[in-house]
Amino acid sequence: MIRSLRWRLQAWHAVVLTAVLMIFGVIVYHLLWQTRLNEIDAGLDRTAEVVISHLRRLSLMPQWRGWRPPMELPTGPASNEVADPTEDGNRSISLDATPSAEPEFRPWPIPVLGLPAEQVPQPSGVRLLPEEFSPLFKGEDSSWYFVIWARDGHVLEKSEIAPEVEFENHFVESSWLPVRIARTRWGKREVVHVANFGTHVLVGRSIELEVATQHASGWILAACGWAILALGVIGGGWLSGRTIRPIATMSNIAKNISAENLSQRIDVQETDSELGQLAHVLNQTFDRLESAFEQQARFTADASHELRTPLSVIMSQIELALSKPRSNAEYLAALETCQRASRRMRQLIDSLLLLARFDSGQPDLNCGPLDLSEVATESVELLRPLADEKQIKLGSDMTPVPFVGDRERLGQVMMNLLSNAIRYNQDGGRVDVRVERINGDAVVSVSDTGIGIPASDLPHIFERFFRVDRTRSRADGGSGLGLAICQSVVEAHGGQITARSEPQCGTTLEVRLPIAAESETLSQNS
Amino acid sequence: MRVLVVEDEPDLLRVVAATLREDGYAVDTAADGEDALYKATAWEYDAILLDVMLPKLDGWSVLRRMREVKRTPVLMLTARDTVGDRVRGLDAGADDYVVKPFSLTELKARLRALIRRSAGQAVAVIEIGDVQIDTVGKLVKRGDAIVPLTATEYSLVELLALHRQKLVTRTTIYDHLFDEQDDSLSNLVDVHVSNIRKKLGRDFITTRRGLGYVIEG
Repeated sequence: MIRSLRWRLQAWHAVVLTAVLMIFGVIVYHLLWQTRLNEIDAGLDRTAEVVISHLRRLSLMPQWRGWRPPMELPTGPASNEVADPTEDGNRSISLDATPSAEPEFRPWPIPVLGLPAEQVPQPSGVRLLPEEFSPLFKGEDSSWYFVIWARDGHVLEKSEIAPEVEFENHFVESSWLPVRIARTRWGKREVVHVANFGTHVLVGRSIELEVATQHASGWILAACGWAILALGVIGGGWLSGRTIRPIATMSNIAKNISAENLSQRIDVQETDSELGQLAHVLNQTFDRLESAFEQQARFTADASHELRTPLSVIMSQIELALSKPRSNAEYLAALETCQRASRRMRQLIDSLLLLARFDSGQPDLNCGPLDLSEVATESVELLRPLADEKQIKLGSDMTPVPFVGDRERLGQVMMNLLSNAIRYNQDGGRVDVRVERINGDAVVSVSDTGIGIPASDLPHIFERFFRVDRTRSRADGGSGLGLAICQSVVEAHGGQITARSEPQCGTTLEVRLPIAAESETLSQNS
Repeated sequence: MRVLVVEDEPDLLRVVAATLREDGYAVDTAADGEDALYKATAWEYDAILLDVMLPKLDGWSVLRRMREVKRTPVLMLTARDTVGDRVRGLDAGADDYVVKPFSLTELKARLRALIRRSAGQAVAVIEIGDVQIDTVGKLVKRGDAIVPLTATEYSLVELLALHRQKLVTRTTIYDHLFDEQDDSLSNLVDVHVSNIRKKLGRDFITTRRGLGYVIEG
């Protein structure tokens, strides 16, 4: 069950589908998160940019021109106060507000927020952040915050809920390209923009909501994935079941086909699919099997009929002869009948054994060098009395053809062909025997001017016990095995036998035997 | 009793025909299917022995075509002995089936049974008054004494007894008692009837003038 094609198909299908879904899910999840982050970042960037441009504007205010911030930041307790901005609302970065005249110090571009108002030359209404932002950063449930650092890292301004953020200097002296850093930490998204003269503006917001939404999306994605996987597996199972079903049907039919029931065939509906082709091939195999079985069954029936008939003659004749006292003449006649019948049986058994030996691939050939024309001439002379009886003219056209083969068996082939040609000829007809060499093959042909063989029977004449007309052969004592034996002998010599026939004109049987190189040398030596 | 033997093996045909003739049957022979069909439809036989494998027309076809016009009992003779072949033969209208090689004794017994059954007689011994006709031993007894009858006389008695109380015409008697080889002198039915009356009594066979004969008992 586990190893069945269907289950393996199903398992692989599920594995591949799971992998695809997982990769797809991860990508979608990631893209979704990226999109969310981009949206968040865009908001943060916009805010930061507004802040920066505001700062820039502030720095250009006339009241700030010429103002120099103190050269050094206060140390000691003042620094501590910087590190503890929660102490009170009063950001007590105590700067010496006295403008210094030291020229090497770079102009402080931004008003120093957080200084006591009286220390800063402050025009009324000047603030670091535009007024519109205050609801964003100061609202009760606002998740937005900002921090503005000076280039040296001290906090210029920060919103109330801003978390403790370590200053990281991103200002690169040599580069005037705007710097932007985005980062996520502790459930918060922050962007840091570095503005003119190294002022760092950090705008951040809590993204807990987005994270929660993303998680929810993740769960939805996972659920969808499971649903698709389930659908896919069920669908795949259905599909593989559909695909496998014809195979199951085929195997059932193949299982049902036995010696008793060979006529069943697979119903081929999809002729173009691979399974249809398989079914077609199987059906062809079954056809061949059926015809082979039929041939075998017919052969067995024929053989048993042919053997039982003379046996019946013997048994019946003996029973009749013994049933009461008979005259000597009657006994003699009875014994003659039995002799005839037993001779026929012996002949038939010899033929069957010969065929069986050829069938088993051990033809038991006694090969030696010979001249086919000599063998043919012998057969012609042996059968001449039979031909004379029917006033049949026996013509021969022989060329000496050396060959290596079984003289007795090849002689039997010639005798069979010749006696057929004479037997199925009209009185006063002709039989021509030719032995020649064509393209390295020895060719023996026997033509008659007989009644011919109907085209429908021609393919069957080499089958065992096949008779074109059974009346004639039974009267002549033929067994129906002659041509089958000829074919076996010729094929055992590596040759082939073919028949051509024109009804009412005559039949030609042609034996083509390949002359091997060794046979030529052998025959030359002999 | 007249039977037709159809067999394409000449020796077997001769032996079977000789056996049946020795047993008192009138025997016609046929060596191929066409001849067999012609004879089977042209004459009244008490039974036909039919080989299956025949030249020209096989046994099945002969049987099928003969059954269209005749109900003559048929005993198939064949070398095919599978159950399928037997069933096919019986279904095709054959009455019995004998597989080659067969014993002549069995063949004769089956032939007798076949003829008896087709005449509506189930038992082998027919009793008419004090006359007993033993169809197996081909004997006629009166009381305990065996009545000596010639083969033809016995056949005539058996034929009339098998169809007792039914009129048997002279033509039927002729058809059933004499085969195609009989000469004209041996087939004088009146002479045989007269001889039987001498041996079995005047009233054993009743003459229906101008029609035929009947055993009334």
